[in-house]
Amino acid sequence: MKQLQLTREEERIFDGEMGEAQKIAIRLLSSLGDLGEADRLIPIKSAHISGVSYKNVGEGGIQFLRKISHRVSVPTSLNPLGFDIENGGPVDIDENFHTKQMEIVEIYKKMGVMDSFTCTPYYYYNEPKFGDHISWAESSAIIYVNSLIGARTNRESGPSALASAIIGKTPDHGLHRDDGRKASVVVGVKEPLDYTRFAALGLYLGPKLNRKIPIVKGQKKAKDIDLKAFSAALSATSSIPMFHVDGVTRETELVSDSPEEMSVGKEEIDETIGKNSAQQEPELIAIGCPHLSSEELDYIAKLVKGKKKIGPDLYLFTSREVKANSRAAVKEIEDFGGKVFSDTCMVVSPLSNKYGSTGTNSGKATFYLPLKGYGNQKVAFMGIMDLLRWVIA
Amino acid sequence: MGDSVIKGRGLSPGKATAEVAVCDQLISPLGEISREGFITSGPCENTGITGKILAFKGGRGSTVGSYTFLELKSRNIAPAGLINEAAEQMVVTGAIISDIPMVDRVPLDIFSNGDRISIDGTSGELSISNVTEKKVATVYLVHDGKLLLLKRSESSTSYPGQYSGISGYIEEGETPEETARREMIEECGIYEASLKHLGREIYVRSDGILYEITPMIMETKSNEVKLNEENSNYVWVDSEKLQTYATVPKFKQTFELLIASSQ
Repeated sequence: MKQLQLTREEERIFDGEMGEAQKIAIRLLSSLGDLGEADRLIPIKSAHISGVSYKNVGEGGIQFLRKISHRVSVPTSLNPLGFDIENGGPVDIDENFHTKQMEIVEIYKKMGVMDSFTCTPYYYYNEPKFGDHISWAESSAIIYVNSLIGARTNRESGPSALASAIIGKTPDHGLHRDDGRKASVVVGVKEPLDYTRFAALGLYLGPKLNRKIPIVKGQKKAKDIDLKAFSAALSATSSIPMFHVDGVTRETELVSDSPEEMSVGKEEIDETIGKNSAQQEPELIAIGCPHLSSEELDYIAKLVKGKKKIGPDLYLFTSREVKANSRAAVKEIEDFGGKVFSDTCMVVSPLSNKYGSTGTNSGKATFYLPLKGYGNQKVAFMGIMDLLRWVIA
Repeated sequence: MGDSVIKGRGLSPGKATAEVAVCDQLISPLGEISREGFITSGPCENTGITGKILAFKGGRGSTVGSYTFLELKSRNIAPAGLINEAAEQMVVTGAIISDIPMVDRVPLDIFSNGDRISIDGTSGELSISNVTEKKVATVYLVHDGKLLLLKRSESSTSYPGQYSGISGYIEEGETPEETARREMIEECGIYEASLKHLGREIYVRSDGILYEITPMIMETKSNEVKLNEENSNYVWVDSEKLQTYATVPKFKQTFELLIASSQ
């Protein structure tokens, strides 16, 4: 087994000469480097950190963040938290949750992390380029930037991405090398897929592939937002860091010598959608997991513009920047009676404070929301047209 | 009965001894482990992990999952240790920052639920209390593209009547290859064979016994076999025909692994 070799300067950090926070950070990177059989640390261009919502981080997490608190050394963006800081919502929260949540936000601010509060930082805040070595957490963003942009990051955990942000380096293994980016399964899908059916494909493939990188064939018309849905669902149900789509993504030449082959048909997709829909009349329609792009907000605005709203609440989730850059669409959605939140989403906010059932087109939300003691929701998983049927008169 | 000792890979330092909770599933610590210390989905749903050594396939899902272990630790309801078949970064991060010992590269089917086990997160060593370990060498003997199957006699103490390769217990001071050659002479009267590939150990659990089996492929120039009393019959089969025989546990899959790793 290869052992990680530290430079003299890194050794000094390891020995604690630069203080406790950097020592914790580099020791974590060193252990994870051994896990991945890396022989050195390499510089990174950016980091993205998950582990912001108090719902996910908890008291133990706050104590850890205090210990490791140190100025970051590369541009670093941050995941969503438990509520919309400026406007409140999506649900009422108790004072303790609010206090603890703001404490976490303050710790990150002191470290010099951007107040992006989004799981799609690649739209505005933190845009990696092809071939960039980066250290990102947030499963849906990792798989998206590896696959669609061609940036290079392992599936970092919240704490390890933070450690990399502080040190400015990451262990050189896995997805940082061509070998670690090769597809080992060819997945043929003949039926054209839209956003929700791509999400269903992700839910179906995740547990089956576990950690194998797939190359999807037969989907040359897949759009970026469809693949964002696929990214999120696939990575929620597996530890897959990347995928290729024949004719769409940029590194499709990276395929192992004798890949496995499988095909997925209409029946498997239909069955996945059916199996994940336990609810017929949701109290809430929630869209934006991962966070919506401007293009998606425009699309939804067109569908609801001038219509009369009925039935369940309609909540959309995006980042501050996207919201600020889509004022017209946001106004049309709000005039209709929907709400557009930033900083947060249906998964990381304590939705069950108010709702017992949610309709969504997100495969990722469909995985997390029903879990007992976490989302506690009955979920209706369906396409956007079917969802909007509940709220348009 | 003694204890069985297995070598895994150490990932998070520290030692733990506790009852094992075996969950043959991938787990997203965010959501699939509750803040009260229970598994919330899959075959292990409602299993409590507090104070136990949690053995599962590996982590999946949210990269925030590491914090779940910290949270359980801060509430004094964390698992005593973690075992994965194949670990990934998020769970390992959680183990390291929460001071929970962890090892991986351990197959889950060596455990029975309720086993009391010890792990050492530095050396990677793992032991199962009150389970006797028996070391076995098994030869997949090949001649002219065909594999030799021996039918174990009905009076055999383990797996009577099932088909297997040439196999026997490794005696004190013997290497697996030496055992293999001795057994080939005893069981089949074969004196000449060349070692083609020595595989990694596999484990088979049968109640209070854990068999550690070293598999290997050997090739012989003659198809002549002289059985002793340990086996009642023999047959040379091609790989297609092999599927139709009732063989001892993991016999066929181990052969496939051997073939794959020898190429």
